[in-house]
Amino acid sequence: MELLEVKNLSKHYKNFDLKDISFTLPKGYIMGYVGANGSGKTTTLNLITGIVKGTGGEVQIDGLSREENEQAYKEKIGYVGDESYFPDHFKIKHIRTILKDFYPTFSADKFNGFIRNWNLPENKLLKDFSRGMKVMLMFASVLARDTKLLVLDEATNGLDPVMRTEILKLLQEYVMDGERSVIFSTHILSDLEQIADYIYFIHKGRTVLYDAKDELIENFLLVKGESAKIPPALKKELIGLEENAYGFEAILPSDRAELLGSVFLFEKPTIDQIVIHYIMSAGK
Amino acid sequence: MRALHFMKIDYVLTRKQMYFMPVFFVLAWVVGRGVTEGAMSLLVTCSYTLFVASIFSTAPFGYCTGKNRGFLLLLPATVKERVAGRFLYGLSFVALLGVLCAALWGLYALMGYELPLWTVAIGLCELAVGILMMALEFLFFYVFGEGKGNWQYLSNIVRVVPGMAMFFATNGFVGEIQDMAPAGTGIDLEAFAGKFMQAGVVAIMVSLLLTAVAAAICVKVIARRDYA
Repeated sequence: MELLEVKNLSKHYKNFDLKDISFTLPKGYIMGYVGANGSGKTTTLNLITGIVKGTGGEVQIDGLSREENEQAYKEKIGYVGDESYFPDHFKIKHIRTILKDFYPTFSADKFNGFIRNWNLPENKLLKDFSRGMKVMLMFASVLARDTKLLVLDEATNGLDPVMRTEILKLLQEYVMDGERSVIFSTHILSDLEQIADYIYFIHKGRTVLYDAKDELIENFLLVKGESAKIPPALKKELIGLEENAYGFEAILPSDRAELLGSVFLFEKPTIDQIVIHYIMSAGK
Repeated sequence: MRALHFMKIDYVLTRKQMYFMPVFFVLAWVVGRGVTEGAMSLLVTCSYTLFVASIFSTAPFGYCTGKNRGFLLLLPATVKERVAGRFLYGLSFVALLGVLCAALWGLYALMGYELPLWTVAIGLCELAVGILMMALEFLFFYVFGEGKGNWQYLSNIVRVVPGMAMFFATNGFVGEIQDMAPAGTGIDLEAFAGKFMQAGVVAIMVSLLLTAVAAAICVKVIARRDYA
């Protein structure tokens, strides 16, 4: 059963076009939404949350579109961005009151539990919170209510490893009941290696790759060797060929492995390596 | 109901300025007393108070810029409810200061000042203009935003000029009346007090209607916008 369905989502800006983004995310899974800066990640996530209006396409969360019932649609979403969206001169008590007013499923006890566990100061203005505290507060505000989809836009960037590990653990717990899902944009691809089930790779507003993470890793090989020994037939197939004084590195679709012969070293790539080589090939 | 919650958010956003309102009200009373006395001074006090209201009622627009806007936009509600909440904030803010003026009126009555009915009617008209100014300023800020650079200067002019114009117009009007008759008597005008009261009530109703129209235009304009 799909939780998130995105069909032909498009957005036109003066200097940028997001074109025909389509994917589905089943219940109980985590999708990593990756790409270089300016590739359209935030635009896509903003279109999903509804803060930005698309020029085409449609989004459904648990079978419901924003146009059908905006309030119910937004209640299903928990959003955490790369910077705090709470006004700086709010205190935690103000956020608690507002969440209580707007979300029938908000649990003050649960919220207070997160605040206590993460040692967030009740009486300080948010402008005096560290970046980590602000991110944890955003997580507390979305995890203390009943959401179906967590939308994370580079939420773990700039956090220390302990906090990042804690958040990744929370995300895994979040999807554990098989009813909820996470779409997660990040530059820290090692995070995705740990928790993502699907990877969607976007570049310059267009889809480059979209598959289950394990499939993706199976579908490519990381190839290394001496540049001079690359035969032309292989060179054509290599993606993101990077050459230096010591040799070359590139990725190759696994089904073209027969072109390698015995001259080159190859291994399973990481998501990071696949993405980087794809970005390099797109830049050429 | 969610519109009321949005109104509440605006009060939380602007809670600090509420501490200054009693100070401004006392200042308005001092200004009124400085110009004249009795019922006439109350008209000046009211116009000064509404001048202050026209400036401070737009404060939530200043707090909801950039990343802070996201918080409001993500809340489960429609554009209509969000805009209605903001207009309710503006209306309640003006009404709150209107109530303070009415209380001062009552206090003067208890103190034995003569308060002709026609001055009350003028007070109602002032309140109607105050509401209308708020509505037009909100319309401006929803359509054009707070802006940056030179545009920011224009926003500040929009905040200050209408209220200031009303304040000086009231001062001029009070001066004219005082030239016509001794302050506080207004015998001829009192003969038309009933008509003035009717005009005052109609002015309030018209201003409320126009506020609703302004809110509807805002909904229509921003519903198609990103980050709105």
